[in-house]
Amino acid sequence: MPFFRFSVQAGIGLGLMLAAATAAQAQSPEDIAVLAGPCANCHGTDGRSPGGIPSIAGRPANVLSAQLKAYKAETPPPGTTIMNRLVKGYSDAQLDALAQHFAQIKPTPAAAKGKK
Amino acid sequence: MSTHTKFSRRQTLGLLGGASAGLFSLSMPAIAQGQAGRVVVVGGGFGGATAAKYIKRGNPKLQVTLVEPAKRFYTCPFTNLHFGGLRTFEQQGHGYDELRALGVQVVHELAKDVDNKKKTVTLAGGRTLNYDKLVLSPGIDIRWGALAGYDEAASQLAPHAWQAGPQTHLLKKQLDSMADGGLFILSAPANPFRCPPGPYERISMVAHYFKTKKPKSKILVLDAKDAFSKQGLFQDGWKKFYGEMVEWVPLAKDGKVVKVDAKNLEVETEFGKKHKAAVLNIVPPQKAGAIADRAGVTDSSGWVPIKPQTFESAQVADIYVVGDATAAAPMPKSGFVANAQAKVAAANILASFSGKPAPQPAWLNTCYSLIAPDYGISVANVYAVTDGKLAEIKDTGGVSPRQASDDFRKLEAQYGVAWYNAIAQDSWGTRAG
Repeated sequence: MPFFRFSVQAGIGLGLMLAAATAAQAQSPEDIAVLAGPCANCHGTDGRSPGGIPSIAGRPANVLSAQLKAYKAETPPPGTTIMNRLVKGYSDAQLDALAQHFAQIKPTPAAAKGKK
Repeated sequence: MSTHTKFSRRQTLGLLGGASAGLFSLSMPAIAQGQAGRVVVVGGGFGGATAAKYIKRGNPKLQVTLVEPAKRFYTCPFTNLHFGGLRTFEQQGHGYDELRALGVQVVHELAKDVDNKKKTVTLAGGRTLNYDKLVLSPGIDIRWGALAGYDEAASQLAPHAWQAGPQTHLLKKQLDSMADGGLFILSAPANPFRCPPGPYERISMVAHYFKTKKPKSKILVLDAKDAFSKQGLFQDGWKKFYGEMVEWVPLAKDGKVVKVDAKNLEVETEFGKKHKAAVLNIVPPQKAGAIADRAGVTDSSGWVPIKPQTFESAQVADIYVVGDATAAAPMPKSGFVANAQAKVAAANILASFSGKPAPQPAWLNTCYSLIAPDYGISVANVYAVTDGKLAEIKDTGGVSPRQASDDFRKLEAQYGVAWYNAIAQDSWGTRAG
């Protein structure tokens, strides 16, 4: 465990406890944001697609979550090309977290001024 | 601190500092306490533009400067479609207005040097930029001379067209003026190189052009490898659309080009066989962009070793390197990966400025190639750090099914275009034409 090693090197017991607690926690919002990062490469920044691939921003979390898990099935939904290959890299908990993350983003930017 | 592998000193500070800033405030650097800092990003391609955008979005108080000589950046991805006559060159161009609107300072100059001790970047015009964190996304440089006879002058006769710009135009012009019945030779390099499926998509697009305009022409691929990305799918597609037009010669069958005679458009392979082309396209050996050498982040391979968790240089603190310049196998040198790496680096830089724990990294890659109009294929992968190294997550990703309907291939061709538009928007904020 690297935690122990650097903590001992730092020579601070409190640091050890805090660092271990941090590691044991569920993924932070920052972790989820990083996990969601490459989704934007196809679905657009913040999951707002410029077209051709579905937008995922602001869709209900349960819908997104069910869709993501459906890609994991032996027979993915008709028309699936690539999502079945990608979702296998994520645990169900991660897929739920991603669904929550994108559900909380507004489908269009609040300050958008109709500029295309 | 020298023996542990997973956590850099900065991350350690981040972890401890975030949880108990009060205890450590004396020993922590000022920037870890949330005070705004200075980030310089060198290179305005997929990696650099993404890094600048996500750092500025993540913390608008940071001063983010993007250094990129070109006012308009042309991507290598999708320029192959230009050879196929399916897109204009201009459709691959992206400007920096959106990044400026976000508050990124964009400086159109060449970064000439980095002093990694004084933490400065020197621009070609003589100006010096100070940084707290530096992101390098310099792409590739050609290893001139690594392939005998192939220097910069030779590339004016036998283009590489592996950096979008004048080389793309030169190759397009040569293909356009070639007589029907000519032989197009492409020499493909050994791994690693920018865009592993790129040479084979180029072959496909040139084949499409020949099929529609110069049907008596032939294509010879001389390869320094015995296998290549999406190989089965490409070869199936070549047969389906182009019949006997394309011949691929692997390393084992004397495919490796060892000498180029650009004046005569002739190449010589390992066992002394000579091939003369009407149009000769050399995809040469490559290395990290020159500024990486100047910054002291490259190793003897010519590429940049990085800390997998963060994409900070393995050799120099506070310099993050992303994109084609990195040695990040098994990740390919792709635009998608450069963008994904840049987001991980950006998140780490943001965390270090705010004293928060280093986030868990996550990356994936999706790469589409077009074999014919309406016939696309893809490869995908999901990556993690396993035992301190970058690795593909088991049983994920892979290539498009070998057996698939025409509808499936058509969908992937459409998704390829949609991907390009999405990543252009995500990296530069621009909409492709």
